[in-house]
Amino acid sequence: MSSSSPKKRDTQKLSDKKELWKSIKDYNGDNEVIKLKHDEFLEGVTEKFDSENLSGISRRKFLALLSASAALTATACTDYHDKGEIIPYNKRPEEVLPGIANYYASTCNGCDQSCGILIKTREGRPIKVDGNPDHPINRGKICAKGQASILNLYDPERLRHPLTRRKQISWKSADNEIISSLNNAQNSNKEIAIITNSVTSPTTKKILEDFVFKYPSTKIYTRSLVNDEQRKSAWSESYGTMEYPSVKFELAKIILSLDADFLGNEGSYIENMRKYAAKRTVVGKTDFNRLYVAEGRMSATGMMADYRLRISPNQQLEFVYGLINELIKTGSVITSDSTVRAKVGSHSLAKFGEKEKISSLIRDLYNNRGQAIVYAGDTLPKEVHIAVNLLNELLGNTALYDYSSTFKSILEQSSDEEISKLVDSMNSEKIGVVIHFDCNPVYSLPEDYGYKSALKKIKTVISLTEAENESSSEGNYTLPINHPFESWGDAYVRSGVYSLQQPVIEPIYNSRQKESILLTWISGNAESYREDSYHQYLMNNFNSTIYSKKNTFADAKTFWYSALHDGVVLFDKPVVQSKFNSTALVDSRATDNVNGYTVHLTESYFVADGKFANNGWLQEIPHPVSKVTWDNYASISPKLAKQFDVEMNDLIEISVNNKKLILPVLVQPGVHDSAINIELGYGRTVVGDVGKNVGLNAVTLMSKNYSSSPFIYDGASVKKVGGTHKLATTQEHHAIDDTFVKDIHRTRKIIQEGTVEKYKKEPGFLHKEKTELFGITSEHEYTGNKWAMAIDLNKCTSCSVCVSACNVENNIPVVGKDQVERGREMQWMRIDRYYSGTPDDPIVSSQPMLCQHCDNAPCENVCPVNATNHSPDGLNQMVYNRCVGTRYCSNNCPYKVRRYNFYNFRDHFADAYYENNLTSLVHNPEVTVRSRGVMEKCTFCVQRIMEARSNAIRDGKELKGTDVVTACQVACPTTAITFGDANDPDSEIAKLREHNLSYHVLEELNVKPNVTYIAKLRNTRSEEIL
Amino acid sequence: MSMIDYTRELSVLEGKPSLRELDELISKPLETKPNKKFYIALSITLSMMGLLVIGLGLTFYYGIGMWGNNVPVGWAFDIVNFVFWVGIGHAGTLISAILFLFRQKWRTGIARFAEGMTIFAVMTAGLFPLIHVGRPWLAGYLFPYPNQHSLWVNFTSPLLWDVFAVSTYFTVSLIFWYVGLIPDFATLREKTNHKFKKIIYSVFSLGWRFSNRHWQNYEMVYLILAGFATPLVLSVHTIVSFDFAVSIIPGWHTTIFPPYFVAGAVFSGFAMVQNVLIIIRKIFNYEHIITLDTLEKMNKVILLTGSMVGYGYAMEFFIAWYSGVEAESFTFLNRALGPYAWAYWIMITCNVVSPQLFWFKKIRRAIPVMFIIAVFINVGMWFERFVIIVTSLSRDFLPSSWAYYKPTLVDGMILIGSFGFFFTWILLFTKALPVVSMAEVKAVADGAQPSHKEHS
Repeated sequence: MSSSSPKKRDTQKLSDKKELWKSIKDYNGDNEVIKLKHDEFLEGVTEKFDSENLSGISRRKFLALLSASAALTATACTDYHDKGEIIPYNKRPEEVLPGIANYYASTCNGCDQSCGILIKTREGRPIKVDGNPDHPINRGKICAKGQASILNLYDPERLRHPLTRRKQISWKSADNEIISSLNNAQNSNKEIAIITNSVTSPTTKKILEDFVFKYPSTKIYTRSLVNDEQRKSAWSESYGTMEYPSVKFELAKIILSLDADFLGNEGSYIENMRKYAAKRTVVGKTDFNRLYVAEGRMSATGMMADYRLRISPNQQLEFVYGLINELIKTGSVITSDSTVRAKVGSHSLAKFGEKEKISSLIRDLYNNRGQAIVYAGDTLPKEVHIAVNLLNELLGNTALYDYSSTFKSILEQSSDEEISKLVDSMNSEKIGVVIHFDCNPVYSLPEDYGYKSALKKIKTVISLTEAENESSSEGNYTLPINHPFESWGDAYVRSGVYSLQQPVIEPIYNSRQKESILLTWISGNAESYREDSYHQYLMNNFNSTIYSKKNTFADAKTFWYSALHDGVVLFDKPVVQSKFNSTALVDSRATDNVNGYTVHLTESYFVADGKFANNGWLQEIPHPVSKVTWDNYASISPKLAKQFDVEMNDLIEISVNNKKLILPVLVQPGVHDSAINIELGYGRTVVGDVGKNVGLNAVTLMSKNYSSSPFIYDGASVKKVGGTHKLATTQEHHAIDDTFVKDIHRTRKIIQEGTVEKYKKEPGFLHKEKTELFGITSEHEYTGNKWAMAIDLNKCTSCSVCVSACNVENNIPVVGKDQVERGREMQWMRIDRYYSGTPDDPIVSSQPMLCQHCDNAPCENVCPVNATNHSPDGLNQMVYNRCVGTRYCSNNCPYKVRRYNFYNFRDHFADAYYENNLTSLVHNPEVTVRSRGVMEKCTFCVQRIMEARSNAIRDGKELKGTDVVTACQVACPTTAITFGDANDPDSEIAKLREHNLSYHVLEELNVKPNVTYIAKLRNTRSEEIL
Repeated sequence: MSMIDYTRELSVLEGKPSLRELDELISKPLETKPNKKFYIALSITLSMMGLLVIGLGLTFYYGIGMWGNNVPVGWAFDIVNFVFWVGIGHAGTLISAILFLFRQKWRTGIARFAEGMTIFAVMTAGLFPLIHVGRPWLAGYLFPYPNQHSLWVNFTSPLLWDVFAVSTYFTVSLIFWYVGLIPDFATLREKTNHKFKKIIYSVFSLGWRFSNRHWQNYEMVYLILAGFATPLVLSVHTIVSFDFAVSIIPGWHTTIFPPYFVAGAVFSGFAMVQNVLIIIRKIFNYEHIITLDTLEKMNKVILLTGSMVGYGYAMEFFIAWYSGVEAESFTFLNRALGPYAWAYWIMITCNVVSPQLFWFKKIRRAIPVMFIIAVFINVGMWFERFVIIVTSLSRDFLPSSWAYYKPTLVDGMILIGSFGFFFTWILLFTKALPVVSMAEVKAVADGAQPSHKEHS
C-alpha cells in the first residue's frame, strides 16, 4: 500500500467511492446519510447566516489588528534570551529516554589503580561518575579525583585540533609528516623514544609492542612522577618478584603504618579505607583494630592514628631495625637467623623517646603475631620496605598478605639510568623522534636530568595530550587525544581482575584515541585511520586474551557485550607465594650525624601528580589536614616555626643539594621537628588558566642523585626570606596551644569521643549527663517519611570524596583562591578538623559538616520571604526563586552550613572560565544552577528523593528510606554515611539514631538536627583519650 | 549665693528678640541666594554621594561579593550602617514628641531640625535593607502584597517586622514634621514676593490663616501625633534590636537588647543633632535661639543615655558569665580580647568613657569640647553596631567556621556615601525650609504667652 503513489490513490478514491466510509450507515448507503452528504454544510450551520449581524470589523481592519498584535507579541518576545534551538528526538536514539539517566560501566584513568567506574549520562552527556559496585577492588567507590574528573572532560582548554608549532594542522597532514619523520629516523638508524606514564592497559602495551615491531629503533620509557618503585624493587629483592600482594587490612588487629598514607592517597587507598573501616564499626560487636602511625609529616592516615609517633622519614630504617631487634629480644617465639640478628642487633628504640607508646607498640605487635601488619609508605626507601618485609615475616604477619590479589605491573618503570641514557642520547642527537605518549616529563623529571634542554635538540617532538602541557609546548606536534570518557580501553592492574573502558560520549573536539594515532602510524598510511580502529583492535585482543581464557558458553560477541556491561571480567589466577630472602637486608646507615632538615615530598591529595591541576573542583577541595586550598606549602612543626621565627604564610627558602625553592610556611602540629613536608603536583606553568602557577613546583627540589629515595632529601637548610604568600584555608588556623580558644570543640560538645575500653565498660557513657530539653511551642509531627542522616565518625577518614561527589551532583561552582580567602567557598559539605592535645602530639578529630535539616530550624523563622521552609518529610528546603538574599538565615545557622552566591561565581571565577557552552554540559539537569544573590545549602539530594518517590508512585509501592541514596553516601568509601527514613523503626538510620554513641552537634540549642553523629572511639589502652 | 527665683521659668531664648526679628532671621536662608560656602558644602556632600552611587552600581552589577561579607559574617557594614542610621533618626522624634508631651520648652529651638534629621536619617537607613539583599530587584518580596501565588511574607521574621517598624516610623515622623511646618509655610507665604514660591507655600500651608480655630485644631493634632509618635520612638529600635535578640547566635541572643538599643539610639541621635546644630547656629546666627543652655540640656541627655548604654555593656558581660552558657561567655570575652578587641575598645572609650566628661558643667558648656565628644560618640555608636554584628558572627558556635571579616573599598564607599546622602538632604533642607520652627519659637519668646505678671 505504501508503494502506491499519491496520484494513484486519488484515482482509486474516485473510481470506488465505497472504499471510504464514515459509518456503518454510510457503508450501507442509508438515505439519511445520502441527504446529509448532499448538503455542503451540516444542518444549522448556515441557516442563521446574516451579514448584518457580523462583526463590524472590516477585513482590512482585521488584518491591521492581526498584524499589530503579532508585532506586539514579537517585540514582547525579543528579550527571550535562550537562542538555542530545541530539537525534539524525531528519531530517538536507542536506549535514550529523555529525563532518564543511563549508566555505563567503565574504568577510571585517573591513577594506576584503574578503579571500576559507573558513568551516569543524561541525554547522551556524562554528568556523574561513581564507583562500579561490581568491581571487586573498589566496590562501588572511587576517590575525590575520580569523582571530579568529569570536569576535565568539559575543560574549555582541552585541545581542539592537532597543532604544529601552535598552528592548526589537519590530522592527515600531521600523520603524513610524522610517518615520514618516523621512517626517516628508522632509516637513518636513529632512536624513536616513546615516553609514557605508567601503562595499565595490556592492549596499549600490545600496541606499543606493535609500534616497536614496525619501527624497530623504538624504545619505550615509562615514568610516573609518583610511583611505587621503592616498594616494588624491595619486594623483588625480598621475594624475587615485582608483584606484591595486597594487604588484608580488614583482618588486621594491629596496623603500624610507617609514613604510609594508606588511608589518604597511597596505593589502592579506596580499597584500604573500606578494609580498615571494617574493623571500626560500632554496630554489633566492637572489634576495633589499633592503628599506630609513625611518620614525619601529618598525613590523613596520621590523623586517624590511635597512637602516633613522630619519626623523620630518614630515621625510619633505624626505627624498623630497632623494632625488629626489640621484638627478637621480647620473646623466643620469634625466630631469626644470625645474619639478621647481626644486622639489627645494635639498634635500639631509645633515641625515639615516647617510651610508653613504643612499649605499647612492641607488646601489641608481639601479642598479635599473624594478626598485625606493618606497612611502609611508597615514598620510603627500598631498604625500609625490605626491613618491613622481614618484620612481617618474623611476626608471621604474612598471613595478612592477599596473594590472590597482587599488584600487576604491565610495563615496568624505567630506571634512573635508562632515563639518564635517554637524555644523553638526545643530547648527542642519536634520537630522531620523541613521542610523549600522554605524559609530561618536562614537568615531572628532576631538572638535573636536563631533559628540557635536551628536547630542544630533537627535530621531531610529538606530544599526545588532552591539553597543552610543559612538554608539549616544547615540541612541534601537539596531538589532541580523547578524554577517558571518550575512549576505549582496558586495564589489568590486579591479578584476576580485567576491566574495560568504553566511551560514553563522542569525542567533543577533533581529538583521537591515543592508541588509534599509534595504529595509524604503525600502518604507515595516514589514510588508514578509522574511528573504530582501536575499538576493533581492543575487541580482537580481548577475544584472544580474555575470551579464550574464560571457558564460557557464550559466543564472543555476547561475552564482549556482557563484559562491557559489567565493566569487569574476573578470572582465577594461581596463587603464588614466594619465600623471603633475608640477605636482601642491608646494613643500616647511621642517621645521627646528618645535619639539617629532611625534605619529604609527597603527592598532592587532590591534584595528584599535577594531572588534575586544571580542575577547579579539585584545586578547591580543602587539604584533609591543613584545609588549605589552591596551594602547596612547606609543612613544618610549631617548634621549627618558632626557631625560624616564621608563621603561616611567611616565605622560607629551602635548599638541598644546591637546589632552592622558596615557598610559604604552614605550621602543622604533629610534624617532626626536623622534617619538612611538601606536596608534589603544584606549580604547573603550561596548563589551563585554572591551574597555572597554583602553588610551587616541588619537583625543583628533586634530583637524580638521591641517596635513598627520590622523595626524601636529607641535609636541607632553611632560611627565612621575608615576604609572605597568603594560603587560602577554609578553616582558621588558631595556635593549638592558645588557651583562649583551645578545646572549644570539646567543651561545646561539637566533638564527643571516647575510647573502646570505656565504651566496653560503660556503653552509655556519652549520655550520662543528658538533660531533657523542652520547647514552648508545639512540635510539628512527621507522618510518613522523615529523612535523616547519620555519620559515623569512627569511619570518616577526611578523604573528602563526599565533598567532591556533592560538588558534581549539586552543580557547586568553583569560586577561586581569592574567594576562599574571603571565606566564600561554596561546597555544601565540608570536613571540619579540630586539634586537641599538644602541638607536638596533637589529637585530631574530623567531622563532616553539612546542613543538619533541623526540625526547629533557626534559619526558617528568620527568612522574611519564606524562601527557606520545612517540607512535610523533614527537609529544610531552599526555594531559590523566592530567595532575595538577606543572608539572615546563614547568620542564624549555628552550624554555618549555608552558602551564599556572593557573585555569579561561574562568571566571576577566572573571567567566566567555566561559563561557556561546553562546561555547562557538566551540570546535573535535575539541580538548579543558582544565580548570584541566592542562598544555598545541602538539600539531602532532594532530586534523588523526588526521583525515588516518583518511581515508588509509578510502581505503586510505598517509598522506603533505602530507596534514596544521597551522593555523599554513595561516594563514601568507608560507608560512614547512612541516610534513610527515621520514621521506619526497622531502618538502619532509625537504629543509628538510637545508638549509644549517637549525638547531635550543639544539642543544647534544641534545634533538633537530623544529622546524627556517631561518636568516635579511640582504641587506646586507657579509658581516657590521651 | 544670690537668690534664684525658681517660680519664674528661664527664657528659652536669649536677648529678647522681637517676633518680627525671629521671623526674619529664620526665613533669611530661604530668601537669600545660596552663597559660595553652600555650594562648596554641597559639592562635598554630592561627591560623597557619588561614591555611594558608584559603590551601589558595582554592588548591583557584580553582587554582594564586592563587599567584605563572608559566610560566618553575613551581615557587616550593610546592617551596621542600617542600625546606625536608624539610631541617628531617634533623636528627632524624641525631641519633638516626648519632650513636647513633657512640656520641655527648650525643645522648640531644635525640634524642627531634629525632626528633619530623623526623616533624612531614616531615609538613609532605609536604603540599607534594600541594598543589602543579594537580588535587590526582588526586594519587593519583602512587602506583603496579594499575589496569584497566595504567597505571603514570613510574619515570624524580625526582618519583616523591621520593614513595618521602619516604614511606620518614617510615615509618622514625616506627617508630624509636616504638620509642624504648616504655620511656618503660612508665614513664609505671607512673607514672600516670589510668585513661584508663593504657589508652593500656599499649597503646603493648606489654607492656614492663623485663625484661632486653626491654632486650636493644630494644637490638638500636634498633641495627638506626639502621643502617637512617642511609642514609636521606643518601638522602632526595639524591633531593630529584635533582628539580633530573636536569633540564636551568642552575642545576639540577649534580652537586654531592646532597652539598650533604644538608649543607644537616643544617645547617638542626640550626639548627631548636637554636632550639626553647633554648626547651624553658627552659620545662621541662631546662637540666641539655639542657646548654650539648650546644648547643655542635650548634653545631659547624652550623659544619661550614655550611662545607660554603659550599664548595658556591663550587664551583657555579667549575664554572659552568670548564665553559665559557654558559648556566650566566650563571645563576650572574645569581644574584649579576641581579634576584634580593637573595635571593642574603641567602642568602650567613645561610648562609656567620653560622655562621662559631661558630669563637669564646664565641659557641658564648652562648645568645642562637646562637639568633639559628640563626634566620639557617633564613632563609638557606629562601632557598637560593628562589635555586636561582626564580632558575634565572626566567631559563633563552631570554631571550624570562624573567619575574620575585612571590609572592602566598596564597603567604605557606601559608608561614606551614606553620610553624603544624609548631609545632602540636610543642606537642601537648610535652604528649602525653616530649620527652626518660627511658630514655636515665637510662642516661647518673651511676652508671647499670656501672663498674669507684668511684662518685664
